[in-house]
Amino acid sequence: MPHLAVNAIHAKYGKLPVLHGIDFAVDRGEVVSLVGPSGSGKSTVLRALVGLTPVTAGSIEVDGTCIDYAAPRAVRAARDRMAIVFQQYNLFQNMTVLRNVTLAPTKVKGRARAEVEEEAMRLLKLVGMDHKATAYPDELSGGQQQRVAIARALALKPEILLLDEVTSALDPELVNEVLDAIRSLAAEGMTMLLVSHEMAFVREVSSKVIFMDAGQVVETGDPAAIFDAPSSERARDFFGKVLR
Amino acid sequence: MDYNFQFNVVWRNFDALLSGAWLTLQLGVFAFSAGCLIGLVGAACLSFAPRPLRWLVQAFVIFITNTPALIQIYFLYFGLPEFGIRWSNEACVLIGLTLNAGAYLTMILRAGFLSVRANEMEAGETMGLSLPQRIRYIVVPHIAKSIYPALANFFIVILVMGTSVGAVIGVDELTGQAINLSTVNYRWLEYFTVAALMYVVLTFIASIGLALLGRWAFRVKARIF
Ligand SMILES: Nc1ncnc2c1ncn2[C@@H]1O[C@H](COP(=O)(O)OP(=O)(O)O)[C@@H](O)[C@H]1O
Ligand SMILES: [Mg+2]
Repeated sequence: MPHLAVNAIHAKYGKLPVLHGIDFAVDRGEVVSLVGPSGSGKSTVLRALVGLTPVTAGSIEVDGTCIDYAAPRAVRAARDRMAIVFQQYNLFQNMTVLRNVTLAPTKVKGRARAEVEEEAMRLLKLVGMDHKATAYPDELSGGQQQRVAIARALALKPEILLLDEVTSALDPELVNEVLDAIRSLAAEGMTMLLVSHEMAFVREVSSKVIFMDAGQVVETGDPAAIFDAPSSERARDFFGKVLR
Repeated sequence: MDYNFQFNVVWRNFDALLSGAWLTLQLGVFAFSAGCLIGLVGAACLSFAPRPLRWLVQAFVIFITNTPALIQIYFLYFGLPEFGIRWSNEACVLIGLTLNAGAYLTMILRAGFLSVRANEMEAGETMGLSLPQRIRYIVVPHIAKSIYPALANFFIVILVMGTSVGAVIGVDELTGQAINLSTVNYRWLEYFTVAALMYVVLTFIASIGLALLGRWAFRVKARIF
């Protein structure tokens, strides 16, 4: 049974349909990447998974259990198991780095602050940000903020981590520090769904790549197959451009 | 000018002025704090509540901000007894000022609500924070920081202009005391000069206090004057 199964989901923004039946599955401990041109609906898939954008048809299953996004309790349970890291980090600007990481575990899970802080420091160390625990987000570079956002997501102890173009807002020299953090999570066996334009990285860490275009899955396959020998015209065209 | 200032009478009754100033400060602080709570609930309603509730809050704000505070307080003091509700003059001023501040602060805080980054709210939501928790931990600190100067200004407005309205229905705050004392011996100019200086001292203390609070609590680099 896959850890996460997305079955023919549809979604729209207002009246504009954006996803037209997306299907894929992610096994436990697997890293799967969503790639495709901008506007193809990759972010919308991740937003649908965490209940930010409503799914109008189809179903999403975690560990074989279908999530009913109309039920607040089920949405809470889903958000408990999946954590998302946004392209723009979305850190809480009015809190220190440490507080960003400890807020949800203390206020949502009701855990003791001292224990949570100790763990938060460990996570910040994992992403190389423990020396900035008392800084505020506006005192950090983009790459540093993104690493804090990853630590914040990990503090929720998710089973599945969703990463939305976490390096695309970063200067090239900052990309590697974030990729290193993701690489070490993959090595620890975290189930991850990754949206990325870093094709070399996608190829290195993913066991499966899903190519999306215009709200549909065009092709799915292992990285080598999909990058080196895409079977569809659209995929050939896209990779022809981004891999040059 | 051949007016002969005689401040001696003022110093003899300085205690009464001081107690007036103390009452002024209490009225200002209370009306402002309670008004902040009303404003917070009002602004949250305007931003998140369903339509009927939103309309109700809007009506309240329009009514209060378009009528003089003096008339609102008159209504409480002279109007409510007709309906069998009788409050002391202090209570009328306090409640009137609080409602008044609540309406203005609804508008001030609303501007702050609008400026909250939607993506922080979404992040909070996906992390499992409830709407009240998101308001408490994301919205309030954010607006406190972004509109702190406007809030601090408004506090001074209430402290000086708001509370002095009490004088007309016989509340012995600073202005009221100055009027009371000067009707006894007609030393208007002396009493009002000293009362004015006391207002300046009050606002000065309040401004410094607010600036320090802003710096400490919200990392706001507020100027003192
Ligand atoms: N908040 C929104 N309101 C309306 N349309 C949106 C919104 N967000 C995204 N879209 C549209 O939905 C489509 C898919 O967007 P998105 O999922 O962000 O694509 P991607 O992440 O692949 O670049 C695009 O056509 C985009 O314009
Ligand atoms: Mg996107």
